[in-house]
Amino acid sequence: MNQAEQVIRQKFQQYYLDPKRQLDPPLNPSEREYGFLLFNGKFMVRHRSFKDPLSLLTAVRDLVPSHVYFSTAYYREPTAPMEEKGWTGADLVFDIDADHLNTPCKPDHDNWKCKACGTTGNGGAPKLCPKCKNDRLEEQTWLCDRCLQEAKEETAKLLEMLYTDLGIDNEATRLFFSGHRGYHVHVYSKQTSQLGEEERREIADYLLAQGLDPQLHELEETSVGGTKLAEGPLIGQPGWRGRIVAGIYDILGSEMDQIGLTSTQVHALKSWDRENLLRKPFWNSAKGIGISTWKTLVTKAVEKKSAKIDTVVTTDIHRLIRMPGTLNGHTGLLAMKVPEERLDEFDPFTEPLAFHGQMKVKVKVSPGFRLGEERFGPYHDETVQLPSAAAMLLLCKHRAEPIA
Amino acid sequence: MLTRADLAKYPFLNEASDYIKELGISIDDIASPDFSPVLERAEKRLEEALSKGRVSNEFGNENAEILSFPVSNLILSLTGEERAQRRFALAEAKRAYELLRQESPEKLDYIARTTFGWKLNKIDAQPGKRFYDFGISLADYLRNSVHLKEPKWKLPNRILDHGLVYATREELARLLEEEVRTKIVDRSSRLPGEIPKPLQPKVERTRGLITKWLGVPSHYELPRVPSPEAMPPCVKHLIDDLAEGKNVQHMGRFTLASFLVNIGAGEEDIVKAFKPASDFSERMTRYQVEHIAGKRGGRTKYTCPMCTTLKTHGVCYKPDDICSTIRNPLSYYKSKARILTGKGPKREPS
Ligand code: SF4
Ligand SMILES: [Zn+2]
Ligand SMILES: [Zn+2]
Repeated sequence: MNQAEQVIRQKFQQYYLDPKRQLDPPLNPSEREYGFLLFNGKFMVRHRSFKDPLSLLTAVRDLVPSHVYFSTAYYREPTAPMEEKGWTGADLVFDIDADHLNTPCKPDHDNWKCKACGTTGNGGAPKLCPKCKNDRLEEQTWLCDRCLQEAKEETAKLLEMLYTDLGIDNEATRLFFSGHRGYHVHVYSKQTSQLGEEERREIADYLLAQGLDPQLHELEETSVGGTKLAEGPLIGQPGWRGRIVAGIYDILGSEMDQIGLTSTQVHALKSWDRENLLRKPFWNSAKGIGISTWKTLVTKAVEKKSAKIDTVVTTDIHRLIRMPGTLNGHTGLLAMKVPEERLDEFDPFTEPLAFHGQMKVKVKVSPGFRLGEERFGPYHDETVQLPSAAAMLLLCKHRAEPIA
Repeated sequence: MLTRADLAKYPFLNEASDYIKELGISIDDIASPDFSPVLERAEKRLEEALSKGRVSNEFGNENAEILSFPVSNLILSLTGEERAQRRFALAEAKRAYELLRQESPEKLDYIARTTFGWKLNKIDAQPGKRFYDFGISLADYLRNSVHLKEPKWKLPNRILDHGLVYATREELARLLEEEVRTKIVDRSSRLPGEIPKPLQPKVERTRGLITKWLGVPSHYELPRVPSPEAMPPCVKHLIDDLAEGKNVQHMGRFTLASFLVNIGAGEEDIVKAFKPASDFSERMTRYQVEHIAGKRGGRTKYTCPMCTTLKTHGVCYKPDDICSTIRNPLSYYKSKARILTGKGPKREPS
């Protein structure tokens, strides 16, 4: 454990030892596997199980992990090795993380480095190193208002689709802030707990509109008496059909720059009354706009309306996921439950703050950030006295060193 | 709701099993001459399924139709030939589909609910050009649609409304075909202890049919590793060569064994991979595998040779795109496994 880790661990320990402390364990807690990532050499303690929330809390106080996870799956024998656990079902989970969003601010606060050849770059890490094609890329990320705001919007879209399209009862969903750059949604329901990986992949694809073919939603060119007509779905129709049209409606009300249309096409669309979309299944009345333009618009509409979830998390039926009520070792922020109706007003830079008092740290380099009402940084090679939450954030993100 | 004629059409229904129970027939009755139409029909079902992948309809003798289905199933289970069971299930399911698609929505609804436990609604909706009779609950839809590869079955291309997937009558019949297939496969894998006397010649004859139409079963199977499809071309080629009894040089054998050890295949499975080799010695193979796994001698676990070495020894075989991004067959495996599972680069839990 280096010095920073020792300080972080100590702070985490104080936090967990508070007698008022309560964790927010999942439903049927005794059927889950728990995992703890320890500060000590980044060691993962897995295959643990607990009869009740209290013994779980005791273990957390004991081990003081940097991250606390539980399995989305339920098992007959949660402590057995993977093949013998006896899978009986799993929550349907969704992860929305700024890692997967294309926010324009990323080059300002994120950067990466190839572990193999040392190439570096600003912004989110590519899948493979552009130079040596290696996939061992190290990423340094930051939390920013804009990224988290976008994650929130994606989450709102996700919830809307879960309720109206998938028919999931809002009693069956729980929403969490991850304590880092995103949100998690868990669905606890009999209808979804038995779904296998492939079925879950279909659900993920649905939310991402991955593989959506406009033609299969009846966007077609027909010909009436020699005149070509473009015909498409109607607003208000269920599922993606209505959503596609609503998306196009929004796009037509916007500037329409950078959506891959020529200025003539944009002009034609601007002079067309978009209210037509609300009435007719025939979209053809926009002069000079043919089926291929509509298809482009559908692609853009789908991009706007889909929820950018991480498919891997949703399809993995043995996954460990962060436990709400615990500290996220990447930030020192609390992973916490957010009532769905409060998502809009939830401030991830205020409510999850876990530490009080002041701390002195030596910051190497850090972008500017906000916590609560206060703004901090940017910093460059300086020693500063900060509110503990801010200092912990910098320590956890490897941006600063503690000062004794 | 269902007539005996329906049971003859759909002998996999719960009602058909109940009907047979009520008849009170036991396995010994099969030997009686009264039963010969049933046996004949059962054999015909099998022969058609194995030869053409189809089973024809015959409704002249309803009882024979209903009873022959479980008898075919039983004979097939007794052969213990899984691929034949799958082929039979598919043929029977296709037959059912052709009939189901002509049924009334009410009957389809009934069958889906009672035999397969589906939740579905009659919706009569026409959101566009097509008319949809049914809204199928998401879970029931997905369980079957994931087997269907046409784009129209992909969930993003469906109308999904408050947990119901819209489906036409024809589509419902197609999804039921999948359900029927699964049910028959599950059923035939429940094997009784010994072959009842009267069925012995039938089982023998069916074994002959299976060999005739499906060929000699290969005794060789891929080792059970986490992700067999992710093995690099060189390793697959080594396995194929061994399976065909070709002579594989030392470097090739060492590559295969060390590769399998390192991706976590069990010792038994690794030894089995070498079994088809013409000069196979179980004792030697086991010794070498244990040595490579680090259980003997130096106690170091050997890793797999690098691609450059393998190229020099002529073990590298038809390298593909992934090969150009890696330097060792083991990294090929890791990289491909991640691609196959859609995982991309490794990440921590969320
Ligand atoms: S390049 Fe390496 S992994 Fe690919 S076939 Fe050759 S030896 Fe195998
Ligand atoms: Zn590189
Ligand atoms: Zn940002």
